[in-house]
Amino acid sequence: MSYNLCFAEVREGRFEERNLDVLGLSRLLGDQTFLLLPKTCGGVQGAERVIEVDLKEEDFLSPLCLVTVIEEVKKRHGDPTFLLFPHSSFGMDAAPYISGYFGLPLLTDLSSQSEGLFLKSFFSEKVFGGFRFICPPPFVLTVRSGAFKRFAKEEGTPEREEMKVEIGEEKRGFLGYVIEESQDVDIAKADFLLSIGRGVGTLEEIPRYELLAQKLKATLCASRPVIDKMWLPKSRQVGISGKTVKPKVYLAMGISGSFQHIQGMKDAECIIAVNRDPNAPIFQYSHFGVLEDMHRVRDILLELLGGE
Amino acid sequence: MEVIVFVKRVPSFEDEEIRIKEDGRTIDLSGAPFKINDWDSYALEEAVRLVEQLGGAATAISIGSEEDDEVLRRAIAMGARHGYLIRERDLLEPIKRAMLARSLIEKEGLRFDLILTGVQAEDDQFASFGGILAGLLRIPSASMVVAIEEVKEGSLVVRREIEGGVQERIRISLPCLLSIQTGINQPRYVSIMGIRRASKVERKVIEGRDLISGYEERVRLERFSYPEKREGAKILKGDLHQICSELLRILREKGVL
Repeated sequence: MSYNLCFAEVREGRFEERNLDVLGLSRLLGDQTFLLLPKTCGGVQGAERVIEVDLKEEDFLSPLCLVTVIEEVKKRHGDPTFLLFPHSSFGMDAAPYISGYFGLPLLTDLSSQSEGLFLKSFFSEKVFGGFRFICPPPFVLTVRSGAFKRFAKEEGTPEREEMKVEIGEEKRGFLGYVIEESQDVDIAKADFLLSIGRGVGTLEEIPRYELLAQKLKATLCASRPVIDKMWLPKSRQVGISGKTVKPKVYLAMGISGSFQHIQGMKDAECIIAVNRDPNAPIFQYSHFGVLEDMHRVRDILLELLGGE
Repeated sequence: MEVIVFVKRVPSFEDEEIRIKEDGRTIDLSGAPFKINDWDSYALEEAVRLVEQLGGAATAISIGSEEDDEVLRRAIAMGARHGYLIRERDLLEPIKRAMLARSLIEKEGLRFDLILTGVQAEDDQFASFGGILAGLLRIPSASMVVAIEEVKEGSLVVRREIEGGVQERIRISLPCLLSIQTGINQPRYVSIMGIRRASKVERKVIEGRDLISGYEERVRLERFSYPEKREGAKILKGDLHQICSELLRILREKGVL
């Protein structure tokens, strides 16, 4: 019997929503869906079979332990057709290791599938590559969050199976979660965000955006490149690895709109993008657009606001 | 500490329009500037810092064409002691890159305590080379690394970025492979003079076909496509003063100004 093996991401007892994209793609691909998850997490639907592994959640998420788990699954059920992971920090960590360890071909960050042709982003969503496997299964996939959720099955009672695995002194061990405490404003609570991106160019430009934010009574935040350069504190980062925000207005200046960033702000009531590149993906998600250099727009806004 | 770091040269389309060629299977790179992959410059800086603190040497490896020697010169200018170029043209499949890398490490007898890669490359965004290589080499790995907190005898304590502003702290045994996330450090500035001096250090060139033979493709790129157009933004027109006034009007209408 052929089946697809889906790996659930469970953190602190929570079944992450992106697992539904994994289940959705598995369902589109046909075969029966087997969902693997740590024992601590119950009540999951969307699969024909749920395999509860007797491991702590953190151990289950370790690529090294997953090798042992997969070997046990193969012993019981034979080879799966697809092994599917979310394209998250967990999946980006585990799926390639599994691919290398078992020598299986891999495609990652899949956002669309049609008759065996898988699409993935190149150059931050500027183009998509369409790939096909041309060898026998098993295949390893990571699935973009939000892309296939709608195909996940909502009802049905899965068969349950328990699995015990022995893990020894592992070469990688979880020590704890870290959440950096911050005294800074919570950008998730602001009604109006002025957000700046890579286009800002140099540190010297930042103070004039701080002034603009002050004149507009907006809260200043940024996309990843600005935070990586430490031009604004980490607490101001919008995106998957920063904060998810839903302000009334999100004014994005010099942000091209990577998938990671869009996921963090797409639900804002009104999105206005300022960018000189007409092909910047952010325009696809915005209500209003200004095709212009961000610094020029800033300077004229300051002039109109009497900010000089 | 002996550190191997992988660096990739990538085309940049930050300000350039991207165009798919008529065959549908290739991207027109003629107008694009090339540079070191952003993630790899952070991995390189981390490698150099580790050997500066702990002794040992960093070895930079790139896979690609002769032009990719440019990123090896940069790596040496930043502080790597050795450079290797695996010359190979047909390179889309991450598993093939990782097999070439493993073969080079084994055939050249490269000693290492630690292998560093970037989390992903800006061009194909596979985010998988490091993990596959670790799986092939049977060494532990971790991706999305945002801090190396402690270096102990035989192990490291590192922090990995996960979603929602949270990180996890893990212990990992050496030898291991870490895929480095941007922002872990501030990569040092390299001058043109430094890169010129670095070109005097020998970089060994190895042909890919001498590393693995009879490789059969497992995935095939069928075509590239542009993203599906959504409804998209209403682009404000007029001279810039008019546009900015209109922008302020919208802000007032939305009740935030």
